[in-house]
Amino acid sequence: MFSKILVADDGSEGAKKALGVAIDLAKRYQAELHTLSVEEHLPHYAATVGEVVEAHAEADDYFKKITKEAKAIATQQGVALHAHVMPGHEVETVVTFAKEKGFDLLVIGFMGHSKIFGRIWGSTSQNLTRLSPCTVLVVK
Amino acid sequence: MENNLLIAMTWFILALAASLISIRIGVSVALVEILVGTLGGNFIGLHPNDWINVLAGFGSVVLTFLAGAELDPKVLRRKWRESLGIGFASFFAPFLGAMAYAYWIAGWSPEASQIAGIALSTTSVAVVYAVMIERGYNQTELGQVILAACFITDLGTVLALGLLFASYDRWLLVFVVVLALSLWLLPRTTPWIFARMRSHISEPETKYLLVVLFGLGALSMAAKSEAVLPAYLIGMVLAPVFLANRTLAQRLRVMTFTLLTPFYFLKAGALVNLPAVTTGAALIGVFLAVKIGAKFIGVWPLTHFFRFGRREGMYTTLLMSTGLTFGTISSLYGLTNHLIDQSQYTVLVTVVILTAVVPTFFAERWFDPNGKTANEEQASMKSPQQKLESAAPVLKKGES
Repeated sequence: MFSKILVADDGSEGAKKALGVAIDLAKRYQAELHTLSVEEHLPHYAATVGEVVEAHAEADDYFKKITKEAKAIATQQGVALHAHVMPGHEVETVVTFAKEKGFDLLVIGFMGHSKIFGRIWGSTSQNLTRLSPCTVLVVK
Repeated sequence: MENNLLIAMTWFILALAASLISIRIGVSVALVEILVGTLGGNFIGLHPNDWINVLAGFGSVVLTFLAGAELDPKVLRRKWRESLGIGFASFFAPFLGAMAYAYWIAGWSPEASQIAGIALSTTSVAVVYAVMIERGYNQTELGQVILAACFITDLGTVLALGLLFASYDRWLLVFVVVLALSLWLLPRTTPWIFARMRSHISEPETKYLLVVLFGLGALSMAAKSEAVLPAYLIGMVLAPVFLANRTLAQRLRVMTFTLLTPFYFLKAGALVNLPAVTTGAALIGVFLAVKIGAKFIGVWPLTHFFRFGRREGMYTTLLMSTGLTFGTISSLYGLTNHLIDQSQYTVLVTVVILTAVVPTFFAERWFDPNGKTANEEQASMKSPQQKLESAAPVLKKGES
């Protein structure tokens, strides 16, 4: 049923649960498995380029670590994982990537902002579900 | 007797709060420190004492060195016509426009008007760089021209700040000669010195840089000039050495952002008088309009001359209208040297903070070269990779 599965991986507990389910589905359907981590929250209105460079480097290190962990978990289960890291806005980047690369399932953890932000803007998972070009599975 | 540790603790509680807020909301720590300092100054009586002033002064010098040392000279050499043209126009138009408005219409003194011109002439390389990284433009030709032009604008700002208020006597001559010699010698000798020092926990490389910065800073003060002038120029000529030494760059940044710039930015905020923001609201609005309007008069026609597309021209002009670090440095210089009063300082710093936010918002929202209008963005969105791939030909097409 699914041939190309994408997991939005921000390293959170929710994303780890989503990865577990996605690995299981990839095995079941012999599907291609990808993760996408989005680097957001680079400091806006910085005082020096160095502040942005260091924040970017910290984000790179963090995503290298979670990508390595995800690959190790997938390999243990006998599934090949293709990991991607991109800068940008989380929802926009995941939705566009899923559209461009022709994924037929997006697996996400139930995550999001605080309650106040969630009420005003909608949570990340709500926005991804609304805007995704393919079927979305939200793992709780 | 003053309890210095209690004072230090108070300032670091505010610095810590600013760091945590900045991480949480994704806004630079510098901007949050200014805002936290403003609240501290207006509600809990936060006021800088002598040693805080000294640390804040060190902070502005090292911060300016870091700003200069982040220049990529290769980009400047490759696109020098566009960078120099746009960069200098981006300095002169708002400098003259804001100075003229302050003097002839707002009725400020000649010195205060000059400070207004300098503070509002700036462009923020860092604000622009963060936008570029997020949108993937920092590697494109358009992005690199904008970044190089920002350095040129800031060079105009530090030259004006360093030379307009200097005493034209033998000390200035000595300062200019020593500075010129240092600018010629340091790029040649520093790599050799660093190779012999080697990285060590006692940080000999950092101490060497501080000796150079404070030595030239002391000489600039003797000439009644400003220490940020040599700091920025030394940063520019040492940029290749500095950027090649990642460990040194990181350690200097950590030291600066932990121990020096919190005092500088909190102080810059603490001196803002909130009631003056209300009473000066109209003037703040007008100065903001004058700065952005002058940038349009100076930069926008040049973007056409260099054959940027319409959207790229607007985007470049808006990003060149940003400001933060040098705007606050210039305003604080004016206040410290009694060239402006606290109300005028408040007006200028508020305008500077607004210029960090307002032009960036408009540029990203409506004039992203590869983006669409806000409504179109909802319907069709491009990935950062796609933007990166398609941004380069935009300028090339215009150049042909």
